[in-house]
Amino acid sequence: MRTGRTDWVQFILNRFIWFIILGVFLFFAVRAKGFLTGLNMINILLHGSVLGLVTIGQAICLFSGNFDLSAEGTVSLVTVLAGWLMVPSGWWEGGGGWELHPFITIPLLLLVGAGAGWLNGFMITRLGMNNFIVTLAMQLVLRGIGLFICKGFNISDLPPLFRWLGNGRIGPVPVQIIFTGLAFVGFHLFLGHSSFGRQLYAVGGNKDAARASGFNPERTITTAYIISGVLAAIAGWMLLGRVGESVSAVLGTGLTLETVAAAVIGGVALKGGYGSIGNAFAGVVLLSVVDNGLNVMEVDPFWVNGIRGFIILVALLVEAQKFRYKPKVAQA
Amino acid sequence: METNVEAQRGVPVLLAQGISKVFPGVRALMDVDLEVHEGEIHGLVGKNGAGKSTLVRILMGLEQPDAGVIQLDGRRFRSISPSEALKAGVAYVPQHASMMDSLTVAENILAGAMPKGPLGLIDWNAVYKESTERLGRLGLHLDVHKPVEGLRVAEQTMLAIAKALFGKARLIILDEPTAPLPRADINRLFGFIRSLKDKGIAFIYISHHLEEVFEICDRVTVLRDGRVVATRNATDLNMALLTQLVAGENVREYERKSTAQEVSKVLEVIALTRRGHYEDINFTVGQGEVIGISGLHGCGAEALGAALFGLEGRGVGEVLINGRPYTARNPHEALEQGLAYLPQDRYRFGLVGFRPVRENVTYSILARLLGLFNIVKVSEERRVVQEYLDGLGIVTPSQEQMVRFLSGGNQQKVVFAKLAVTRPSVLILHEPTFGIDVRSKLDIFRIIDELSTQGVAIVIISTEVRELISVCDRILVMYQGRITEEFEKGHPRTTPENILRAMEGGNNHANR
Repeated sequence: MRTGRTDWVQFILNRFIWFIILGVFLFFAVRAKGFLTGLNMINILLHGSVLGLVTIGQAICLFSGNFDLSAEGTVSLVTVLAGWLMVPSGWWEGGGGWELHPFITIPLLLLVGAGAGWLNGFMITRLGMNNFIVTLAMQLVLRGIGLFICKGFNISDLPPLFRWLGNGRIGPVPVQIIFTGLAFVGFHLFLGHSSFGRQLYAVGGNKDAARASGFNPERTITTAYIISGVLAAIAGWMLLGRVGESVSAVLGTGLTLETVAAAVIGGVALKGGYGSIGNAFAGVVLLSVVDNGLNVMEVDPFWVNGIRGFIILVALLVEAQKFRYKPKVAQA
Repeated sequence: METNVEAQRGVPVLLAQGISKVFPGVRALMDVDLEVHEGEIHGLVGKNGAGKSTLVRILMGLEQPDAGVIQLDGRRFRSISPSEALKAGVAYVPQHASMMDSLTVAENILAGAMPKGPLGLIDWNAVYKESTERLGRLGLHLDVHKPVEGLRVAEQTMLAIAKALFGKARLIILDEPTAPLPRADINRLFGFIRSLKDKGIAFIYISHHLEEVFEICDRVTVLRDGRVVATRNATDLNMALLTQLVAGENVREYERKSTAQEVSKVLEVIALTRRGHYEDINFTVGQGEVIGISGLHGCGAEALGAALFGLEGRGVGEVLINGRPYTARNPHEALEQGLAYLPQDRYRFGLVGFRPVRENVTYSILARLLGLFNIVKVSEERRVVQEYLDGLGIVTPSQEQMVRFLSGGNQQKVVFAKLAVTRPSVLILHEPTFGIDVRSKLDIFRIIDELSTQGVAIVIISTEVRELISVCDRILVMYQGRITEEFEKGHPRTTPENILRAMEGGNNHANR
């Protein structure tokens, strides 16, 4: 019983972000010399791959109705820890002297990410602490641990095997782009079709109703944080591989705001239960295109943050309209 | 359109003529007339979507009519702005009045015009004195030191009315004011409204609760599909006629056909006690039996329902389902052990508004629909959902429609579908007809009937005594945490009056 024709307002509101991306892309293509080259396209994707991984985790937490501000702490701790576990140098040079094989180190790093995520979830769901503050504090704690371990030293000379994720290529395409791309597709499908995805959206959309439906919101939220933590750990692994040395626990700084921004720009609702990984992907693409385009155009860096802020505000404006807009449905 | 109205005393406060309003694709109002006089309580009834809220929004200036004239306080308007409506003395009091909840009654009354002392500081003594006096003049006695959120809901409504009157309102629109109230508070609110009516204040009284219309209203206007189908004196109407006018067809009062035979016990509750909530609760429900539990707000019936479903602790005592001990500590285990629960607050506990109908229906049976890697088998899900949409008569453009865009009655049916799909042994329904229109109510009764013929043991916790009498095999009345009386279907003692008296703790001859 629809009013007859397609609801165009709804149609456009739901895909607004892609129209903006198209507009911005065309603008740079015309105005920025060197923007529309293969190399630069790869650059855009490279820029978005670490951000993208962390944003997937952020979006999953947001779907459950919670922020994860701790992910960049995990990224930075993991970059330090990896060096500390693998390189031969002793503590006086910021190393642990363990010389572990990457195949042992990597699972340990993922475990650290999962552990941090679990701790977030535990504090929020079992101890009833506020998600915003808990994860903000965790960010500081994790980074603090990183600083304590590396004592401010930089660690280089990482095993090539370890750096493959962030530095390797398959044919002409960097591994990290392929990996993040697969992660986006995989999580988009997984959340859309799995039991966990259902529970996640139900819990974020209405926790009380989810509980009354027989779901376990505490477990769902904790799982969301664990996934986010593991993805952040992988992002740290990727980032360290790309950069080649851990820069005394400062890698990943500023990621938190970018991930929240990317998710929101794409149309993920901060109040939970609404949005998709596809939305988050759109946000990451837009942020990456804008950053890259401004860079290629050699815009004064002092302007860049202002322009990004403006884009976030426009996205939020559209978001607000989406929740206000009601399609006409015949009353029964 | 029929009119059957005696000449009224007094001047019309509101005279609306020929009001029409068209929304894209919907005719919300067609040629609606409404006349409300000084000192009149005018009922406005109709199904959801009949046009009540559009009419009210037009009177408040929130919506502009496409045609018609509004005469307020002797002035004629083609359309009216919110501030003009306010100035002309129209005030709207919603079910949950919005005030500054954490501030005191006094501050709410005098907000913006607090008496000041010599230093320009607020003179609190004067504030409390003046606000008490002002309320007193309206015959309203509230503790002005209390924060508004500490008042009873009925008191908040009365305070909101009083505030409107201090703002020189002459026509007050009350929107379902009694829905959340226990009976004693309804009486108090009605007393207050009547006293204001005697002072010449006019009311438009919107309600789904048709019995109340007879209790409080002088005249009634019935809207259906955007038209006025009748404006009558309340004394010229009876329940059956009003129901028929509202529903638009000849609806007899519902009478459940099936009755339970003496069959196996499904739910047995033995000496269940949770201090401060309920004590020594004993009852059984047989296969296909429908029992009602009724009582005033706080009598323990609501707590009992929530506790049985595992939303709250259950206390000590024993519960058996189909002879086996029932041990659920949370909704998940309750559903697993065959007990499903319809919460009164369907928005909070029943539905996830931003998710599609399809997902909402299957939340509780998701485990049954999973394939490889816990992926939901959507085609099978669609088939199951469609079966229940058809079976319960749920009207939705598609299974993918977000639940929040459905009408109240259809949302309630989605919650029913969600419960029925779990194939429970025991179904506990808490105020299943709360806030839905007459037609949907009949659908709900039909659904209850059908589930009972399938052998489900049903417990209805409700204060709608008439509905319970027509649907239930037995009605238990709770008073102060205990089951104090039991009424059998068809027994001459089973009348609304007796049950209401029992709910208020009366009936000394009670021997169960």
